Amino acid sequence: MPSPIRKQVKLPLSVAFGVVMQGIRIRLGRSLVTLAGVILGIAFLMSILVGQSIRRGVAAEVNTRREVKRMMSFLTAETGPLDDRVIGVVQVGPLGVEELRFLKQVAAAKVSRLNWVTRNGAQAPGGLAAAGRVSAVSEPEVGRDASAVLLAGEGEVPGGAAAGALLDGARQKVLAFTRKSATAPDVPDASVVQLERDKPPEELEQERLEGQRTRFRTRWIIVISLLVTVIGISNAMLMSVTERFREIGTMKCLGALSSFVRQMFFIESGLMGLAGSILGSLIGGLFAWLAFSFTYGADLVGSSLDLGALLGYFALCVAAGVILSILAAIYPASFAARMVPATALRSTI
Amino acid sequence: MKLDEAKFEALFIPPAGEGKRCIIRAVDVRKIYRMGTVETHALRGATLDIYAGEYLSIMGPSGSGKSTLFNMIGALAKPTSGKVYIDQVDIAQLDCEELAWLRCRKIGYIFQMYNLIQVMTCLENVMLPMSFAGLNSEEAREKAMFILKLVGLGHRPLHKPAELSGGQQQRCAIARALANSPEIILADEPTANLDLHTGEEMIELFARLRDELSVTVISATHDLKMLKRSDRILWISDGRIVRTARPEEVDFTSGDFH
Ligand SMILES: Nc1ncnc2c1ncn2[C@@H]1O[C@H](COP(=O)(O)OP(=O)(O)OP(=O)(O)O)[C@@H](O)[C@H]1O
Ligand SMILES: [Mg+2]
Repeated sequence: MPSPIRKQVKLPLSVAFGVVMQGIRIRLGRSLVTLAGVILGIAFLMSILVGQSIRRGVAAEVNTRREVKRMMSFLTAETGPLDDRVIGVVQVGPLGVEELRFLKQVAAAKVSRLNWVTRNGAQAPGGLAAAGRVSAVSEPEVGRDASAVLLAGEGEVPGGAAAGALLDGARQKVLAFTRKSATAPDVPDASVVQLERDKPPEELEQERLEGQRTRFRTRWIIVISLLVTVIGISNAMLMSVTERFREIGTMKCLGALSSFVRQMFFIESGLMGLAGSILGSLIGGLFAWLAFSFTYGADLVGSSLDLGALLGYFALCVAAGVILSILAAIYPASFAARMVPATALRSTI
Repeated sequence: MKLDEAKFEALFIPPAGEGKRCIIRAVDVRKIYRMGTVETHALRGATLDIYAGEYLSIMGPSGSGKSTLFNMIGALAKPTSGKVYIDQVDIAQLDCEELAWLRCRKIGYIFQMYNLIQVMTCLENVMLPMSFAGLNSEEAREKAMFILKLVGLGHRPLHKPAELSGGQQQRCAIARALANSPEIILADEPTANLDLHTGEEMIELFARLRDELSVTVISATHDLKMLKRSDRILWISDGRIVRTARPEEVDFTSGDFH
């Protein structure tokens, strides 16, 4: 009796996976070329993202360093060298990055003591309190023997009388502000200095325009690098389908379903995309880091690297690589899946 | 209810021959290859019945359409016109999953150019149709080794096709055709590259498959020994079937049989 014609079963993914892995292994040279296409595109993307981040970080770092230096010279202009001096600090609120850095530097200088007081429920920065020369004192004590009292942090500034009280027992009546846009209280018998921390409006406008230009340029470059990636990957996938015309057709002659053929391509391109974009982002990131270290100096680049952002870019690049590779495989995969089996029997490729 | 005309019609095709089951029937099959403006008529209306358990040899000069006929009756390509029935079912009515099943389970192909998968070993080539059929790899490996021994390749299962001689590749292709115990074997010059002795062994293997398992063997061949062993010989010339005969009716000593 003739057996009825049934439907071919769908195979588990692992079968296609096995065939793909074997193909990659055997055609290692070819696979490496495909991989190189992905690596190149993604490395390009990653180096641009990381370079961008480094450049931004370096700019911010340079700015911070300049600000800190300025504050320092303001202070020393009032008090003279800080060696063996007592400085009072009244922290009226959370500290900005620059203020914090500045205060750390003051603490690290050869001051004999840093009297520290917090107001308005502000939290003293953890690292500082641990340093030996910082001592938390009660409010009236802050000015004792001090050469200057610094008002730091984002918060309500004590008024005239209260500010005057802080200077009680000070050797030199200097009250210095480190905070941006504060109005200095009027304190009798004291020299009140306000560190000029606000930038003039022209400079701000200039910065804004510059920022806009860079953002535009970055977007443009990212679009181009994505195009490079897409073209590289789809070219690689198309090459590999034409190369395997005969093989795929033969598999269809032997009973492979179109869906199996499609699966093979998607698995292969997905794997290539994953491996290529992991390698590519590492290479691209490293390249950007080295290149910028070379121009700006390793120290500056090192201190401006943002690990969180780097991880974010890495994830972004890997995701982009995998997704683009899979997208690039759509056309070759459907082309191969639609192929008439008999064509494989004549093809000599 | 919509009537599937072709399938319905197929039900009424009378079994041909005396009590013999027709396993493949081709009715006025034509195939025209178009390449730009050039048309090649590879088949000009081939009609034939092939019976279950038959050993059929097809002869014909190069370019006469043997491979094309194989592709048509093997469900590997669609004819330009005409119908092909396998087990009374018009294969034009089958969906792609049914076609894949047919190619995988029912028919074993030995291609003229072997078409072994170059990146796979001999053993893996034989295991491939088994894995398409859903066999797990242990079972497949065991069965594939058995078949490879049967064709005399048991000693080099782990070689890639490129590392085998032409005859060994041909035997690997034969082994692959037997992978899923097909009812039909379609062989395009299966002994062309074999030495006398191995060729005879393969012919013997086909004969045994027919005798013991009633496998239908259809092969294009010019091999005298194979022709003599077959039940029926069919001549094809310029896309037409021009003659059929039993081997005992043919005088193999004269040039007549070409
Ligand atoms: N895919 C194709 N495209 C165009 N022409 C084709 C194609 N396949 C076969 N032909 C043509 O069809 C004719 C028959 O070819 P076929 O391969 O069937 O011959 P054959 O009998 O198998 O020959 P051989 O003994 O050399 O294998 C030839 O003229 C060939 O050029
Ligand atoms: Mg041929």
